[in-house]
Amino acid sequence: MKIKYLALSLALPVAGIASAHADRLVIKGSDTLGAKLVPQLAEQFKAQHPGTTFDIAAEGSTTGIAAIIDGTAQIGMSSRRAKTSEVGAAASKGKHMKPTIVAFDGIGVIVNSANPLKGLTKKQVEQIFTGDVTDWSAVGGSGGKISVYTRNTSSGTYSEFKELAMKKRDYAPGSQKMAGNEQIAAEVGKNPNGVGYVGMAYIKASGVKALPVDGAVPSVKAVQAHSYPYWRPTFYYTNGDPSGLAKDFVDFTVGPGGQKIVAQVGFVPIK
Amino acid sequence: MKKLTLVAAALCVALGGTAARAQDAGALLDLLVKKRLISDQEAEEVRTELVKESANTAAGKWKLSAPITELELYGDMRLRYEYRGGRLPSTNSGDFGQDHLNDWYERHRERYRLRVGLRGTLADDWFFGLRLETSASSRSTNVTFGGESSGGPFAKGDDGIFVGQAYFGYTGFPDFKFTGGRMPQPLITTSMLWDDDINPEGLAEQWKHTFTFNLGGGGGEAVQSYSKEGYSKEGKSVVAPAAEPFKLKLDVFANFAQYVYDDENPENPIGPNPVVGSGNGDQTGQKIPTTDAFMLAWQVGARLTFPNSVYVQLAPTLYNYTGNGDTFNIHFNGDPGGNQTGINSLLVFDLPAEIGWKIGDLPPMRVFGEFADNIEGHDRARAAGHPDHTGQHYAWMVGGAIGQLKAKHDWEIRAWYQYAGQFALDPNLVDSDIYDSRVNERGVAVKAGYMVADAISLNLTWAYSWRINGSLGTGGTGDIPINPLDQYQLFQADCSVKF
Repeated sequence: MKIKYLALSLALPVAGIASAHADRLVIKGSDTLGAKLVPQLAEQFKAQHPGTTFDIAAEGSTTGIAAIIDGTAQIGMSSRRAKTSEVGAAASKGKHMKPTIVAFDGIGVIVNSANPLKGLTKKQVEQIFTGDVTDWSAVGGSGGKISVYTRNTSSGTYSEFKELAMKKRDYAPGSQKMAGNEQIAAEVGKNPNGVGYVGMAYIKASGVKALPVDGAVPSVKAVQAHSYPYWRPTFYYTNGDPSGLAKDFVDFTVGPGGQKIVAQVGFVPIK
Repeated sequence: MKKLTLVAAALCVALGGTAARAQDAGALLDLLVKKRLISDQEAEEVRTELVKESANTAAGKWKLSAPITELELYGDMRLRYEYRGGRLPSTNSGDFGQDHLNDWYERHRERYRLRVGLRGTLADDWFFGLRLETSASSRSTNVTFGGESSGGPFAKGDDGIFVGQAYFGYTGFPDFKFTGGRMPQPLITTSMLWDDDINPEGLAEQWKHTFTFNLGGGGGEAVQSYSKEGYSKEGKSVVAPAAEPFKLKLDVFANFAQYVYDDENPENPIGPNPVVGSGNGDQTGQKIPTTDAFMLAWQVGARLTFPNSVYVQLAPTLYNYTGNGDTFNIHFNGDPGGNQTGINSLLVFDLPAEIGWKIGDLPPMRVFGEFADNIEGHDRARAAGHPDHTGQHYAWMVGGAIGQLKAKHDWEIRAWYQYAGQFALDPNLVDSDIYDSRVNERGVAVKAGYMVADAISLNLTWAYSWRINGSLGTGGTGDIPINPLDQYQLFQADCSVKF
């Protein structure tokens, strides 16, 4: 009988914690998604689900995928696909990486708005970001040493851009690594010789302009048609099919309400 | 979900299910999405499934750095029984005075060798290679079973692994190939001059251009083509066979090499330069120049391939040396008790040549030969104290072969005669088996091989040689510790596996 009471006394606090955590959603990962889009989705979701709390950490896609592997988040935000090694690591821990596309994005190549360039070719983009050319005059500009701004290595955009635009080559040795899209846009906006890349939500930042690449601009239509060369899907990763609050939030994100916010923030809706 | 499973299964079957192929599935999935057969979300789920499958394969667990565009793991292992014997002369037996005349020094050894390598190409026309080998010797990769003198039976004292090759290079300019490091021999040569276990260290520049002549009709038409192929899997320099039909093909090539033969340390010592130690004749007490030793090779040549697989190849080469280093700076003598390694007065012109043909269903055949002349051989003889033997400045060999060793059930027999004068060649480079790293030897060698399987070969080698000049030593240092080596015999039975 004493054992029954002991079990009950232990079970109650545990149930209490479970209950308290039942309305809390831990989301980690991509800065591209986590800086603007997901917080706004969370606000809207909270309005519809009072009592729900969010713990959002946007420190790069790698951290989001790692959080799913080690079980420290219910949703991992990622602006790139999980790598083979990550999927393998998850499988070895009994986890199943389930991707859900939540939005499309175009990675825009931005320069200072004072830069007279009207556009670049894919080859020129590769040459600029790998350091094959170091002066604007080599790509039809008016001269000046090119300052390359990139995301940091934990960023999904960092590796995605290498794959999409640079044939997986390394960035130019002198490139400066920034923590997020906003920082890149801010630096390029201040530097007349600056060049960087940002998600579509940031191409209209003050002092910068996005250059057409091979004549294609990063527009909603071009990204949805996959005709802009640097388009990409962005993801929520979950451990298997999401359930509970995570499922509700995923469904909300890909539903009409969520996709409206996706468009408002500057991403491209999936439909 | 059923549709996705079917798509995934279809992709797995179509692509073979390997890790590399799983990555290829991306293009197929993109196409299916573009044709609106599946949605982006469905494609993503299939992609993740395929990646998961591939991650669990052996290939999927390997991770290669991004610049690697191609990587090959290769190597071989060989088991060998060897008999090697040398006979003292019938008169003055050199190191042994008048004792043991005509006595044979004989060795029976059971040996193995292992070579494992990685080679590949990198982005932007670069390439690299690394090969690990047993044995620290430059002219051998063999380890003798039970060869340790301490550590008990089955000790591992001499079973070390060493870096045999470590090189990289660039092929970005049409027709050119540049290599630096410890590399496979880039020169076309034979065992008369170079032991094929030697991986020279330094730089090499290679150029090769192919002219193809379409004969017939109204006059010849030349077509130029280029092949980046430069090294065979055995790490030897080869001229690639024709890849496409043609009537007459001319490969013109030039190979240049700058090898670091011996590093002097230091180049500038504290105090005066060292002097030649006692027991070195007229050289005793002379100052030794403290400079690095370099070996330079200059080779130009051509291979003309006629219809019906008949080819002729010539590769004239000039070798010269600069500096002395700190290991080879005593004049070569070659006599018992004298210096066996000096590289003074060596300016060697070498002409390897080969003619090959294949007729009908007969096995391929070829005759080959080589002539080498040390242009400074007279000086080398005089420096050795033998002004009366300046005629020993040339070496030559001639032989023939039938068959080839490429695939299961292939066989080959090779035989040749070789003559190497005492002052003709660099005794530090000549083959260590035929004839025991020596010069002033002439003799015959026969090799026979059979491919038991595509990866397994059996080989027998027999060689016999005699001293050319009875009043000279047999220069060089081999496994038989007698000089002069009046007669020499070798027998080897090999079983090799290649992977």
